[in-house]
Amino acid sequence: MSATSTTPKWLLQHEVGLCPCACIGKRRKGGVIEKTTSGAAALLRQTLFSEDVAGERGLLQRLDPRVKVLSLLGLLVVTADLRHIPVLLGMYAGTLALAAASKLRLSFFVKRVWLFIPVFTGVVVLPATLNVVTHGDIVVPLGTWFGHHLGLTEQGLRSAGLVVTRVATSISLVVLLTISTPWAKLLAALRALRAPRLLILVLGMAYRYLFLLLNAVTDMYVARRARTVAGATDATSGRLLVAASAGALFGKAQTLAEEVHLAMVARGYAGDARSVTAFRMRLLDAAFVLACVAAAVAAVGVDRLLGR
Amino acid sequence: MHIPDGYLSPETCGVFGAAMVPVWTTAGRRVRKIVKNRYVPLVALGAAYSFLVMMFNVPIPDGTTAHAVGAVLIAVLLGPWAAVVAVSIALLIQALFFGDGGVLALGANTFNMAFVMPMVGYGVYRTLSRNVSLTSPRRPIAAGMGAYVGLNAAAFCSAVELGLQPALFHSANGTPLYSPFHLAQSIPAMAFAHLTVAGGVEFALTAGVVAYLQRANLPLLRINHRAVPDTDAELAPPNRPPWRWALVGLATLVVLTPVGLRAPGGAFGEDALSDLPLHKYHLDAVPTGLRHYAGFWHNALFNGYGFDNGSHPTIGYLVSALVGIAVIGAVVFAGFTVVRRVRRGHDVDDDFETAPT
Repeated sequence: MSATSTTPKWLLQHEVGLCPCACIGKRRKGGVIEKTTSGAAALLRQTLFSEDVAGERGLLQRLDPRVKVLSLLGLLVVTADLRHIPVLLGMYAGTLALAAASKLRLSFFVKRVWLFIPVFTGVVVLPATLNVVTHGDIVVPLGTWFGHHLGLTEQGLRSAGLVVTRVATSISLVVLLTISTPWAKLLAALRALRAPRLLILVLGMAYRYLFLLLNAVTDMYVARRARTVAGATDATSGRLLVAASAGALFGKAQTLAEEVHLAMVARGYAGDARSVTAFRMRLLDAAFVLACVAAAVAAVGVDRLLGR
Repeated sequence: MHIPDGYLSPETCGVFGAAMVPVWTTAGRRVRKIVKNRYVPLVALGAAYSFLVMMFNVPIPDGTTAHAVGAVLIAVLLGPWAAVVAVSIALLIQALFFGDGGVLALGANTFNMAFVMPMVGYGVYRTLSRNVSLTSPRRPIAAGMGAYVGLNAAAFCSAVELGLQPALFHSANGTPLYSPFHLAQSIPAMAFAHLTVAGGVEFALTAGVVAYLQRANLPLLRINHRAVPDTDAELAPPNRPPWRWALVGLATLVVLTPVGLRAPGGAFGEDALSDLPLHKYHLDAVPTGLRHYAGFWHNALFNGYGFDNGSHPTIGYLVSALVGIAVIGAVVFAGFTVVRRVRRGHDVDDDFETAPT
């Protein structure tokens, strides 16, 4: 995909004419309808953006997808095994370098990973720094509470740091893989790596029809919104709406499944799947594999040297 | 409940990934046996539907919204094994294409949400909806309860997986290497969130969709309920008496009778005259009326639930319990017999009155 065919920004914006940081204009707390339609739009936006990035000609985009899947998953396993924050930070720096080499905007890449971490991991891990949860040597005393000493422990802080850096590195690796590979190539790579043929077929079809059904949901909700004169609906009618639309969607999915099956049979489908993609390993791929293996060996080696 | 990568040790991920392989094989075989070569489109659309159900915002009372998992809903609509496959693929798409939930943790996530949840939830649903017609109002409630229990079972499993990490994987000085919360912290935290808000959301969505399909599109419910009649009138009459559950409850109480032997003190407000704390209220004597009626009945068979002479208190207690049960049973049986006789007489009269002449 060339750079001229990227999705225009205004189409991707949440609400046209409203600053995304909510500094201009009034931001209403969205109801069920608004939230679901904007969720659907966000999903589409993310997909379109991924396809845009996958169309660039960076380092990761030029690699054989099989090589990419194997090496990034290998690094993921290595990351899960590391036990020292500095080593994990080194791995994270490596993912940043890969992102830069793949023509990803670093600000976007960092934001995508770290926006997720504070809301989930950060809040979840925060209480674990207290000595109430993680026993150990108190380094930051916070006074006493009902006669018990309260404070942040060295073990707790280190554990929180470990979890946060490991989650950040793992997410970065998966984002790098998914954002630099068009989904059809990712599926073909999984097939080439001996994933069951039926699984690939189902996965591909599920992904394709996902967007058709997503459109059906958006249509239902936009139509409902167009018919709604008053402001936000109350929770009870909102729940009725959600249940009815989920039920109607199931009907649509069933009809679609029957139609797709008939169309497949009409085209000669007899329960077997074939794939036509052939991949070729090149020098760049071999070099990348070597670099990944070297990085993994170095990370594990330093990690062991620092002690288990 | 999507566990991201980094919370679970690679060993844990490996164990759950390996545990899911036979589950997926069985599920794939069982679904394919039923739907033959319609398998691919049916399962694919089921997975796409499962993915979208997880996207639906369900309003909750405080004005915000929450998401449901929908695994029990799919188990009710398509059957539990189809739900295993569909939800697994939906989770795989989320992890692989959208970065939601871990790739290494996929085994654990699918174990919780695509195996434990639909299986437990569907079991509860089947138990509660036994002998219930397809359009009965009990069916959505049964589906909702199944979803509630299934979701909490899944949350419990993920709490155990997370809570085992600090005990199994820590460095020499006690630093937890993965999720830092112990079982005593992770289980209550997950249980609280899922017993209250998330469980309610799951109940509302599942019960709501089943109720909607009962109103609007009954054929869709028939996909997984082929042998179930549409209305209560077509139901086969139950071959067991409807009051059998009352008998089960009474039998449980009878078995529990000896527990009374362990109870300390006496029942509230049933003290003997000598045990009354009269001096506390500055009373010197027992009121005459009370004294008169307290000694009114002297002919009790088992005075104080024991033999008259007070020997063998345990045996006396049990014998008095048995005699009491027998007497009450005889009285109830006699009452029933009389009522049945009287009612049968009425029925005969009615038949005579309405009989064609």
